[in-house]
Amino acid sequence: MVAIRTDGAGPGRAGGSRMGTVIETHELVKTYGELNAVDHLSLGVREGTIFSLLGPNGAGKTTTVEILEGLRAPSSGSARVLEHDVRTEYTKIRRRVGILPQDFEPFDRLTPREAVAYWARLFNRDLTKGDVKTLLEDVGLLERAGIQSLHLSGGEKRKLGIAMSLVGEPDLLFLDEPTTGLDPKARRDLWGLILRVRKAGRTVLLTTHYLDEAEHLADEVGIMHRGKLVAGGRPEELIARMGSQTTIVLGGAGAAGLQEVERRGIRATLRENDVLVRVSDPTEMRAVLAKLAAIDIPLKDMYTVRGSLEDVFLSLVGARMEEGVLNP
Amino acid sequence: MNRIVADLLSFGRQYMRSRVGAFFTFIFPILLILLFGAIFTQGGSSAFTLTTQNIDNTTLSQTYLDALNSTGLVHISLIPNNVNIETYIRDNSLTVALQIPWAFSQDVLTCVASPTHCHVNLTLYGDPSKSTFGTALGLLQAVAQQMNFQLANASAVVGVGVKSVASSQYSYMDYFLPGIVGMTVMTTSMYSMTSICGEYRTRRYFKLLATTTLRKYEWLTSKILWYIISLVLSLLVTAGVGMLVWDVHVVIGPIALAFIAVGALLFTSLGMLFGTVVRDPESGVAVANAIGFPMMFLSGSFWPLEQMPSYLQAVSKALPLTYLNSGLRDTMVFGNTASALTNLAIVSALAAALFLLASKLVSWKER
Repeated sequence: MVAIRTDGAGPGRAGGSRMGTVIETHELVKTYGELNAVDHLSLGVREGTIFSLLGPNGAGKTTTVEILEGLRAPSSGSARVLEHDVRTEYTKIRRRVGILPQDFEPFDRLTPREAVAYWARLFNRDLTKGDVKTLLEDVGLLERAGIQSLHLSGGEKRKLGIAMSLVGEPDLLFLDEPTTGLDPKARRDLWGLILRVRKAGRTVLLTTHYLDEAEHLADEVGIMHRGKLVAGGRPEELIARMGSQTTIVLGGAGAAGLQEVERRGIRATLRENDVLVRVSDPTEMRAVLAKLAAIDIPLKDMYTVRGSLEDVFLSLVGARMEEGVLNP
Repeated sequence: MNRIVADLLSFGRQYMRSRVGAFFTFIFPILLILLFGAIFTQGGSSAFTLTTQNIDNTTLSQTYLDALNSTGLVHISLIPNNVNIETYIRDNSLTVALQIPWAFSQDVLTCVASPTHCHVNLTLYGDPSKSTFGTALGLLQAVAQQMNFQLANASAVVGVGVKSVASSQYSYMDYFLPGIVGMTVMTTSMYSMTSICGEYRTRRYFKLLATTTLRKYEWLTSKILWYIISLVLSLLVTAGVGMLVWDVHVVIGPIALAFIAVGALLFTSLGMLFGTVVRDPESGVAVANAIGFPMMFLSGSFWPLEQMPSYLQAVSKALPLTYLNSGLRDTMVFGNTASALTNLAIVSALAAALFLLASKLVSWKER
């Protein structure tokens, strides 16, 4: 029976205790001539979590993932997946991982029902019609199960890709930019699906260049830039450590407002005509708000902006990222 | 085995649904058989028109023209005596025309009366490089010779008798059908395999397959099995149409089926080797055409190798399709088992070598 189970009794057989490490790299390097596509990368992914490799196009995310999938050989360093060396034990690894490659394209002339059954047999599994139906229902493709894949939408194709990656009941799922190019609704649908996969106890390695996606889905993120891992940890920890945490915005307060705020011992900056007050310690928020409320200055509005991975990324890389492209 | 069967079924399903593959495997050879059969076996007249200017216009010249007409190989079309025949030939793009000169009859009678060193000529205008010219010249000479005998009250003494040593009589279509089968084996497996490799690389299917437990040789084996099955069916359908429509006489025995199997193995492997250098389906088609078209014409698919110049015959000996075509004709038409087995051994050895090479050289993974 293949399905995305959400009873918390997921695979749990990742060659180690629950919450063990399923991916471990040490000083991993991949070079192409002069280019260091992956540059001394060391990271660990814990079992049962969603780990997101985050970075712009060309950061080395896909190269890293393809080394872990056994599709590329590393130049130096080591990488172990499910306690097996990716160089020498790939055949053992691939029986236990599911993979949705970047820019996944299904076989045009097969229906989702046929594609899932076919893919399962390539993992030496014979699914019953009921198994196939359950799996397609889980990914939200049951109504389109009998249509040739060339007629599926972009989001439906990715769902089919995820269904195919699940046929071997993998312990670990590699999803390489699964939502790139999809519309917002399709992205949200896939987010729900990925969370259900994690809830079923599987580990997910997700690469993305969408900061909001990583923040929404990932238990841990690793930010890559020019082949290097420039930061890693839980999103909220990274935000607390490197982001601006929460910002109070005094809309339209202007230079006079900035002067009044600073006279009361509160550090602030002026952006256009708004005064920005950054609060790094959440416990100080109430007190700061009280002080600001006591100031009698004309305001258009007053609101707070929560810190995000975008702030973290900006502080680490020195540029914003839009659709995978750095925008200084 | 389970994986090979799964991949075979999946590939076959996609192949038939694409319709292009099904067309070239089943419909195209039938169209060729029907087309070539219509051209070469129908009872339409093979006579050609011989434009003639009879300036002499006497009973004797008319007798000569009647004799030409009675061969059934030409239709005499007379033009007026007052036109310039060379201008007429140019204006009407003719390749051959006959002129019977003025006083032809009188000159012939003079020669008959005193035959020593006497000769009367008819004039054949035209382009000697054209086959029609050669045919017309031979025919005119033969009829003239016959006329000479009659005028001299003589008859031919030395002639040539014909005795067939062929095991059985066979028609052009009997000869043609194995060539079409050989050509279909090559085009179906090599063209589509080269194109498939381009598509699988462009759409990253190879990378996707590399993430499963399917092995490269299993994938290649399933493709070969598919082409063997579909090409055997294609052979049966094509031969069936040839027998029903054109009364083709060929024998489809175990050796013919063995040729289909090793031919599919050979050309599928060759297509996969070409696939190592193509980046997309379009370049795959270009590579397959660049290799396949010359091979199709130089390997005796459509005409006997003996009709080609000797240097092209030497080239044909280096082409695997030559041995497949020859072997198929040996077993299907001539019943020459020894020669068929020799060709089968050559094709099998090439097929095995190419299969091993393709399995080794083709890579699904990236560097």
